[in-house]
Amino acid sequence: MKPKILEEASEIWFGPQHVSAHGWATKLTLIGDYIVECDPNAGYFHRSAEKCLEFRNFRQGSMILERMCLVEAFIAEYPYVAAIEKIVDLEIPERAKIMRTIMIEFNRIHSYQFWWGQIAGELGLFAMLLWPWVDREYTLDAFEELTGSRHSVSYNTPGGVKYDFTPTFLTKMERALTRMEERLPVFSDMLQGSPTFRLRTEGVGQYTAKDALDWGLSGPNIKACGIPMDLRKDDPDPNLAYDMIDWEVPVTNNPDHPGECDAYDRLIQRFKEIDTSLHIIRQLLPLLPEGNIIDPKARGKVNRLPEAEAYGRIEGARGVTAVWLKTLEKSQTPYRAKIRGPCFATYYALKHIVPGSRFADFPAIFGSLDAYPGWWDR
Amino acid sequence: MVDASTLARTIISKYPEVTSKPLEGNKIELIVPSESIHNIVSMIKEQIPDAIPEAAFGVDLENDKYEVIYIFWSHESKLLCQLRVALEGENPEIESVTDVFVGFEWHERETSEMFGIIFKNHPDMRPLLLPDELVGKYPMRKRFLTDRSRVDETGLSTPRPRPSDGGTSS
Repeated sequence: MKPKILEEASEIWFGPQHVSAHGWATKLTLIGDYIVECDPNAGYFHRSAEKCLEFRNFRQGSMILERMCLVEAFIAEYPYVAAIEKIVDLEIPERAKIMRTIMIEFNRIHSYQFWWGQIAGELGLFAMLLWPWVDREYTLDAFEELTGSRHSVSYNTPGGVKYDFTPTFLTKMERALTRMEERLPVFSDMLQGSPTFRLRTEGVGQYTAKDALDWGLSGPNIKACGIPMDLRKDDPDPNLAYDMIDWEVPVTNNPDHPGECDAYDRLIQRFKEIDTSLHIIRQLLPLLPEGNIIDPKARGKVNRLPEAEAYGRIEGARGVTAVWLKTLEKSQTPYRAKIRGPCFATYYALKHIVPGSRFADFPAIFGSLDAYPGWWDR
Repeated sequence: MVDASTLARTIISKYPEVTSKPLEGNKIELIVPSESIHNIVSMIKEQIPDAIPEAAFGVDLENDKYEVIYIFWSHESKLLCQLRVALEGENPEIESVTDVFVGFEWHERETSEMFGIIFKNHPDMRPLLLPDELVGKYPMRKRFLTDRSRVDETGLSTPRPRPSDGGTSS
């Protein structure tokens, strides 16, 4: 029997038609305008990517991976490439390692530019939606110059990268980076100085670090609690260049609630992430040596793989992004490829974070977690 | 701080049925019999307080043999622990570990609908990702017939013969 109070509860579907719910829907149970139960629904976007990977060869696979999250395509395709590189013995040229790292960090900035517009839109601040998306065009211009495509870039490939940096690309990247460096303080002021933004995010969607670990959250959502959990430092991929330079993992420690984070801390955290990425790119650019961008033997070596298992992981813009790969002897395709998307855990965690909040805070909570449907539906 | 080999030794001294296999770096794989999975996961929770449930998924080894793999990651110890459980049968059963790590709830739900593995004592076994018409077909199993009408275009050799239209499980 239902408790008496629940007899007056109403159920509302948030999405899939809601403006901020692009490809997901959550059933909310409300009493008044307080949410008492949240039941996230997945599957609106399911493309069976893991099964598709079993029918693509090892060079084609990364193109499916990048479609998991188009706003972080350079990052999304990398774990698959990393897993293959763990199985096959390839010599990645120094230049390719640095180029990969630069593009992954550049893509991270793009991902946060996209997210920043998105959360502003979800909170109903339309001007703030358009501003970062204008800057994002500069970034996309650079991607287009390099790969020929704004989103589905297919850049990383086993053994190296596909396209070399051209002078035009470097100019365009420089323009995007300078633009971001100029605008970052403006955006920070806009966020920290805006009473509307603070009112709508402070104390909203608060959780403790311990809970976050239990749910499996990673990336900025856990760094905002003050835990410097970052695979770029903890378990760096040998074919990326993070160990060549000097940088710190950004964390947010809010003195008002140590060991916990609310939506506002998560916003601040992502600004720090942009700052760190800029810092990494600026240090890596002068280190770029001349030379090959791909191991010339790579094409032949990845045609057929030996029997092996490998787990490629990378710190994505949204957290731990990984691919677990099993191959059979002389196989052309993976026997099993498991995609570990960071937002699978994030979206699940909504179930625990949301109850107790008001209905109007729901977009703020969802937006601040930066969950992207492609990662949980796959 | 927990070292990978120390963790393995601690677990094996209490549960001798577990075997371990070191992976590169501070990473370890434990091969666990299906009946002791709940105990082992609880022990990992005790030993590594900051472990995150990174992933849990199934692997179909054909002929009614399956594996379930659990991956844990600890930031403080920089330790990755992978558990491997072998299962057998048409619809193999394994105990759910959702009560230890709530984060595995959806991973187990997905594994269940994709491979037909039953997780006992799971709080919510509704299908997660699949559309209604594929529920109960277990599409990630190897014997699920996909539509291979365009497989020639991929350039992969020896496509398996396709007896009927895709979308059914034999």
